[in-house]
Amino acid sequence: MSTTTDTAAAVAQPGRTRAGRGTPPGTAGRRPGPRDLVRALPWIGPAILLIVGVVFFPAGVMFFNSTRDISISGLDQGGVGIDNYVEVFTFPYFWPILLRTIVWVVVVVGVTVVLSLVLAQILDKAFPGRRIVRLAVIIPWAASVVMTTMVVYYGLEPYFGIINTFLVDVGLIATPEGYGWTRNPATAFAWSIVVAVFVSLPFTTYTILAGLATVPGEVLEAAKMDGAGPARTYFSVVLPQLRGALSVAVLINIINVFNSLPILKVMTGSIPGYDADTIMTMIFKYIQNQHKVDVASALSVVAFLIVIVIVAVYVKVVKPMQEV
Amino acid sequence: MKKSMRFGAAIALAATASLTLASCGFGGGSSDGGDADGKTTLDLLVPSYSDNTQALWEDVISGFEEANPDVDVKLQVESWDNLETVIATQIQGGEAPDIYNGGPFAGFVADDLLYPAEEVVSADVYSDFQESFLANAEVDGTAYALPLIASARALFVNNTLLQQAGVTAPPTTWDELLDAATKVSALGGGVAGYGMPLGSEEAQAEAAVWLWGGGGTFGDAEAITIDDPSNLPGAEQIKKMIDAGATQADPGSTDRSPLMDIFVQGKIGMQVGLPPTVGQIEENNPELDYSIVPIPTQDGSAFTLGVMDQLMAFKNDDDKKEAITAFLDYYYSADVYVPWVQAEGFLPVTKSGAEQLSGEEALKPFLDVLPDAQFYPSTNPQWSAADSAFKALFGQLQTKPAQDVLTEIQAQVDAG
Repeated sequence: MSTTTDTAAAVAQPGRTRAGRGTPPGTAGRRPGPRDLVRALPWIGPAILLIVGVVFFPAGVMFFNSTRDISISGLDQGGVGIDNYVEVFTFPYFWPILLRTIVWVVVVVGVTVVLSLVLAQILDKAFPGRRIVRLAVIIPWAASVVMTTMVVYYGLEPYFGIINTFLVDVGLIATPEGYGWTRNPATAFAWSIVVAVFVSLPFTTYTILAGLATVPGEVLEAAKMDGAGPARTYFSVVLPQLRGALSVAVLINIINVFNSLPILKVMTGSIPGYDADTIMTMIFKYIQNQHKVDVASALSVVAFLIVIVIVAVYVKVVKPMQEV
Repeated sequence: MKKSMRFGAAIALAATASLTLASCGFGGGSSDGGDADGKTTLDLLVPSYSDNTQALWEDVISGFEEANPDVDVKLQVESWDNLETVIATQIQGGEAPDIYNGGPFAGFVADDLLYPAEEVVSADVYSDFQESFLANAEVDGTAYALPLIASARALFVNNTLLQQAGVTAPPTTWDELLDAATKVSALGGGVAGYGMPLGSEEAQAEAAVWLWGGGGTFGDAEAITIDDPSNLPGAEQIKKMIDAGATQADPGSTDRSPLMDIFVQGKIGMQVGLPPTVGQIEENNPELDYSIVPIPTQDGSAFTLGVMDQLMAFKNDDDKKEAITAFLDYYYSADVYVPWVQAEGFLPVTKSGAEQLSGEEALKPFLDVLPDAQFYPSTNPQWSAADSAFKALFGQLQTKPAQDVLTEIQAQVDAG
């Protein structure tokens, strides 16, 4: 580990010799002790403060709020123990919402990864105009998610939506005003998945593309010499090499998609009832519609624990951090 | 060791990512009244009624500051969508604004946060408010909010479409409305007879139009009564309209503002609108041949839904009370208030204001129906729960039995 930092430092400061650096030679294998920690404090201190400030403090407030009774206008009326959690779990739509959240995460991440593998493979080949195509793939990432979703949402509006009008013009929809895609839970949810995949593609594709760049040419050549066809080469040689990139992409995507609010909020916001909600939109509804900050906090804690469990299981089973 | 540290890193990553949403309810506040130069600072939080709102308030403030150089007024304009979250966050952070323009206020009264209205305006201004509006701002006999603007609903009718469908006179009862709307819908070509917005934007308004029009009620200051037999005829009538194809497609999840745009484009026969709708038509489609008539009810009796927004003053710091009174007195003086209401296209709540605007042609149909106006039970602290329950659940009428929907709304209200 110290070698990589030293190399990086040596590149950054070409004038310095190795001897001038903080890590003396020969300490690489030693376990760091308390004295090292004290010596490192001035450097890592600000980062620790920041982590405490932006991660642990809000988390603490969230846990605290979830056990309080907070009035509609936002005043703390005292502790209520686990009442808010009871309300979350006894809400008749809770289990369907949890199930939908799982479907949401699995479908979006699954489709995104498969499409990204294909896209990355194409972008890895040299062809004229590749640079432009690569740039085009980043664009959904550069635009704000709400903006992208709004474009799709208005495109799907009956009467004046451009997608709806197109579908009417080519004869796929019989009614002249179009179909209410975002007015029905199932279709609104399906379109939300499409948007979520679209905005997740750039990051995933580029992560995999970076992974593809690390596959050594000799290995591919060797596979060719051994008579392996393209499919065999891909599944036995390339894909295993992508393990690191893929597992990072999947992990980040799971967390990101699980916590995604804006897409579903825009696409399913005007649908009555709770037939298109995930845990995140439900938290939003508790805060925005019902002004129950306390119950929203309890549901946030539940969501937080779910993410931790998912990540823990994933880390245990897939072991993404292990060297290949 | 090393492995567990990496595991920890993954958890920390998950934590950071999931907290970005969860922590956004936790708000920072603005700094409190800067008294360095002996000035009093008033924080004013208002919603945006139109694109003009900010400029209109800025005019009021600059006029006021000129007359009262020792007071600074800080304006914050929010969209209606965010307003209630902003005020809740500010109160939670101990940074409540001094003057706030909003709807539901009974919850603030229950938490003892507001000054009684009489204490923050002079006697002259207080007696200038129309009594019915003031009564609607009372909790236990004391008014805690100052009426700001009023609006009443009326039915906007597209004369051209009704003529094409062979309907001679605008409907006055439900039966006539159903008949007329069905005929207009039958014209085809994407035309809908009646525009029915039951989506989350303002479901409680369309609900009130129908449920109250059939003799129902949402309750009073003591109890919210949504699951009441008197509300059933209205809900059943909505289903009848939907089943007959007299409305646009998917009324359950259609929001009001986009639907009104379609009315303005001339593709909807009839829809319930507000005074500002007149200006909207003038601006976007002045060719539209329309008329404004009273809302049809079950038996044809006169009725309209009145909505009143209020100004309220928060008890933050007793030193500020004088400045608050000075500001409100200035604002409600006829020279300042009337042009403000007029520019926003609403109805005035003061006697002097109503007198000055009585000659306005565009407002006449609304001023005419105002005496029959019924209001939401907004003095009941539970009203805001009922309001959000309507927004979240009422549209289910499209697919669920009427009785079930009313029961579900009542259950959510009772749960608080």
